[in-house]
Amino acid sequence: MTAPTDTPPHGSGRDPEHDAAHGPAQGPTRNPARDAIPPAPTPPDPAAPDPAAPDTKALAAGARGNRLAAFAGAREGVLAITLVVVLVGITLGSHGDFWSHVNINNLLVRIAITAIPAIGMTLVILTGGIDVSIGSMLGLVAAVGGLLFQAGWSVWAVAPVFVLLGAGFGLVNAAIILGGRVPPVVATLGTLSIFRMAVFLVLGSNWITMIPPELTTLFITSRLWVLPVATVVALVLMILFALFLRGFRTGRHIYAIGNNAEAARLAGIKVRRLELYTYVLLGAFTGIAALLTLGQSPLVQNSTGTGFELGVIAAVVLGGTELSGGKGTILGTALGTIIVELIKDGVVLMHIQPFWGGVLLGGIILVSIGANRRFPGKAAGTKGAGG
Amino acid sequence: MGATGFQPGRIGVLVLLTILALGGFALGDPGILSGPNLYSMAVFSVEIGIIAFGQTLVICGGDGGIDLSVGAIGALAQVLLGLAITAGLPWPLAVAICVAAGAGMGMINGACVTRLDIPPIITTLATMFVFSGLALVLTGGINIDLTTASAAFLFLGQGAIAGLPFQLVALYLPALLILIAVQHRAGFGRALYLVGTSTTAARLTGLRPNRIRARTYAIAGLMAGIAGAIGAARLGTASPEALGQANLISIAIVVLGGSSIFGGDGSVVGTMVATVLIGVVNYGLSYMNFNPVYQAGVMGLILIGAVLIDNAISGRGLSALPFRMTRSTG
Repeated sequence: MTAPTDTPPHGSGRDPEHDAAHGPAQGPTRNPARDAIPPAPTPPDPAAPDPAAPDTKALAAGARGNRLAAFAGAREGVLAITLVVVLVGITLGSHGDFWSHVNINNLLVRIAITAIPAIGMTLVILTGGIDVSIGSMLGLVAAVGGLLFQAGWSVWAVAPVFVLLGAGFGLVNAAIILGGRVPPVVATLGTLSIFRMAVFLVLGSNWITMIPPELTTLFITSRLWVLPVATVVALVLMILFALFLRGFRTGRHIYAIGNNAEAARLAGIKVRRLELYTYVLLGAFTGIAALLTLGQSPLVQNSTGTGFELGVIAAVVLGGTELSGGKGTILGTALGTIIVELIKDGVVLMHIQPFWGGVLLGGIILVSIGANRRFPGKAAGTKGAGG
Repeated sequence: MGATGFQPGRIGVLVLLTILALGGFALGDPGILSGPNLYSMAVFSVEIGIIAFGQTLVICGGDGGIDLSVGAIGALAQVLLGLAITAGLPWPLAVAICVAAGAGMGMINGACVTRLDIPPIITTLATMFVFSGLALVLTGGINIDLTTASAAFLFLGQGAIAGLPFQLVALYLPALLILIAVQHRAGFGRALYLVGTSTTAARLTGLRPNRIRARTYAIAGLMAGIAGAIGAARLGTASPEALGQANLISIAIVVLGGSSIFGGDGSVVGTMVATVLIGVVNYGLSYMNFNPVYQAGVMGLILIGAVLIDNAISGRGLSALPFRMTRSTG
């Protein structure tokens, strides 16, 4: 059990002090007065803020920081190697079909559809939460949005509705989890089935096929540089959030919450508010994914989005984000997303029974995290000593 | 406050709710109170009730303990049973394979959680997809017909003893008695409460928390295997999609039954009473011809509602970080 005292000097020495050096760069984003709060309410107090933790254990921190840095490097290295192996395997297994224009295009769009919510999921998991409801959420957003399309709304009018609806459903999850203090798994397992019920209430057993073709031309078939617009959107969001998590104070706060929420709270971080934002953001991004899904295949039925959450969670977890919070990167999530989508694509291309998809995905998650936990040495696996 | 075990107040409330639910459905259609319907309710509740027993122990072990794979374990075990019977193996051997496979899958979960240190949610979410995927692969997604299997096998799920369902009298109630003894009388049960309340305290007492937790997953798998066998015998079919919502419903039952989702508290007795309530609600909804998706939705509402009300009443969760399931509590 990771006791609070164990607060790892996360992310290779990127502690808040280090951030302070970046202060000027991010000044404009947050009001400076609030940024100044942390030291004020909690006077020099050994129990308190995150910055203190590494200091008091500077010795251990140095050693462990290096090891973590090496380990993080290794993690992404392992992912890159996995990626190449999977790619070679699929190329051979599909007799080159993999590299056809059609397949690469579809794959790029599917990567985008998984990657965008995966950003939100990374933030949620970094704070120590999780959301298993996004598959049904995507279905519900698509169903309501689909009805609006059917009613003749234009793409430009409906697109914001998708995002807002998603954000609203994310807010519902956040309210139950944070307001009601229901553990995230339990709350979102509940809303997983509640949202799905709502999809049935909205759609019955009808299908919606009246999706305007502009949606497809806009996001899927038209390109910026060489990439489909959907992929560019995903790429831009990934870069923005990678920068946000690395260099911005609020981004660092998200890591602080995951490492030790109590310490983060004592340090003046608005823990609950930030956690709420992460769930709402995940919802909004799921809304975007719903929009892109309709662009890719213009059909809504009551099973739309079923199982979508697993791919997203798999991508994030495969990318090295730890479920206990406080550790993980957007780059890892991006690599994880690509691997997950490659595997799904490979199953189709190699004409393997589609049922193997779930087996492979589940197996890869277990092997990847298991290996990750088993080999980094004692620093990361202290809990294993229990048995 | 751990190890409170029986909670007379809660059990009273659950009984009252059960009567209200029954009354409500009876207002819609009095036919639901007929003997055959009550009998069917018992039959339907046994499988999920047995699974909920295993879930109770897993959740009791604390540290984010939860098993999302119970339904998939039951389905894969059931498929193995179906394949064994179609391959011509005698049915007792097939049932033994089913139950052993369930326990084996539970042990895989336990090993992943305790030896590889993978959080329970991720472990069981992943194994859920692995197991149900394998069940689909083995069958090609098609149900295996067992209606021509030995009558003695079908008796497991269709037989009656003294006018009561066989599986209720011969499997569920004995399982309940054994688990009451294990949880409230045996050293394992006491140890489990302590492990669920505080890993550190348990370790300092000389217990091995991981070993105890691993056992709870094995038991949960075993229970799911038994439920899978009963289900196959009841329907005369082995389906790769059996027990689809078992994870959601069993967790709802456990929470309703008074187990703390944070571990270290609760009793299989509470689980049993909550099973009756959920069994009535579920049966009533399908009796009223509600789509299974609505049943699942109602279960979701009940699950969240139960935790919300629990938190409101007990004031639990007002301490630090109640909403982090993985790692930090304790």
